Amino acid sequence: MVQTMDISFALNGKEYKLSVPANAVLLDIIRDKMHLTGTKEGCGRGECGACTILFNGRSVNACLILAPQADGAEIVTVEGADVERKLLSIQKAFVEEGAIQCGFCTPGMIMSSLYLLNKNPNPSISEIREGISGNLCRCTGYVKIIKAVERASKDIGK
Amino acid sequence: MKALNYLRADTIDSALQYLDEFKQDIRIIAGGTDLVVRLKQDMVKENNILDISRIKELNGIFRENGTIHVLPLTTHTDILESEVIDKYAFILREACATIGSPQIRNRGTLGGNIVNASPAGDSISALFVQTAKLKLKSINGERVVSIEEFFTGPGKTILKPNELLVDIFMPELEENETGFFKKLGQRDALAISVLNVAVKMRRRGAGTNTFDRAVVAFGAVAPTVVRGRRVENAIISSSLDSSKQIHYIARLAFREVSPISDIRASLKYRQDMSINLLYEGLLDLRANDWKRKT
Repeated sequence: MVQTMDISFALNGKEYKLSVPANAVLLDIIRDKMHLTGTKEGCGRGECGACTILFNGRSVNACLILAPQADGAEIVTVEGADVERKLLSIQKAFVEEGAIQCGFCTPGMIMSSLYLLNKNPNPSISEIREGISGNLCRCTGYVKIIKAVERASKDIGK
Repeated sequence: MKALNYLRADTIDSALQYLDEFKQDIRIIAGGTDLVVRLKQDMVKENNILDISRIKELNGIFRENGTIHVLPLTTHTDILESEVIDKYAFILREACATIGSPQIRNRGTLGGNIVNASPAGDSISALFVQTAKLKLKSINGERVVSIEEFFTGPGKTILKPNELLVDIFMPELEENETGFFKKLGQRDALAISVLNVAVKMRRRGAGTNTFDRAVVAFGAVAPTVVRGRRVENAIISSSLDSSKQIHYIARLAFREVSPISDIRASLKYRQDMSINLLYEGLLDLRANDWKRKT
């Protein structure tokens, strides 16, 4: 029998209490229980970054966190513009720069960009490249994504 | 993922109780960046998973009497953001900067990198040259071992099933000590080391190219990280005046390593690159008047 745990967390600024299987990962809870499907599953092993979220303020791979470990956490996903206002500017910059092709990596890229800009509001090109180094994109060749992050940092600074 | 029994400890004492109670059938989780991947692949035989990630006593960086303590739950990002580490343990800092990705460094812990005991664990070579010690604790007592004694093979350590790694500590780097960590991966981000090398040397004085102490370690070229004692002796007994002399010393690396061929590189390539990586690192240091790169 699968053990379940009662946990609570704040997701995009709202408090939730729920019961989760001990052997689930946080990504599955976000997608299947909370029905927030912006966060994607790519590799499921921490290499592609498609599941990147903010967990207590830091970017993490949601596919590598056991659901019970999220007890008490503050979580922000790509849908969390209510609590992270910068998300709107970053999303807009991605659209304006054409930094999206198939779109699968985009939520993860945006969350890594958010984490970067929260830490470093004016990153250099090499800092942007380092900031998104945990996210794979198979379409764009990254150039437009880097431009989008640059544009977002300028827009937010205005 | 198979069914698990999830346990959580909020104090060291409670973790030690759990470890003793479940002995052979318990696995510790902290950041989970490695363990969760293994759980998904059904590569974990234990049924009880003990979450130690909230134990406050196991998290933090502090200095005490010339020693720097990096407690095991410290994440790689914490290490990169620490001014104390930047000043007194910068070789470890250089190693942690190459680990995984921002997301992995935000979650993965120094203690996890150690107890996983991968021969390619990037922090381990740096901890070798910073002559780190580990404190292991069980309900029966505690013991301190050197980082070199800790590993017995790939994924294998002397940690007993009821023991917990509770402290990682090392002497602070001194003013006249220099060094580096260098890693060769198949790419810059999210790369497992093809091999890596760490070096610490104590300079005899400004203006000299001589050193009275040297510690060299290679990762991913043997079943565990290994010391390069012939290289160390050659550094101490000669003067690193020319690139020719440095190359002569670096070539000794060939005799220190015993790599295998695997999916990341061949035996021969690893042998050659252990020389080249050491050579390049020493040359870079010399070009910067033996000062660490910033």
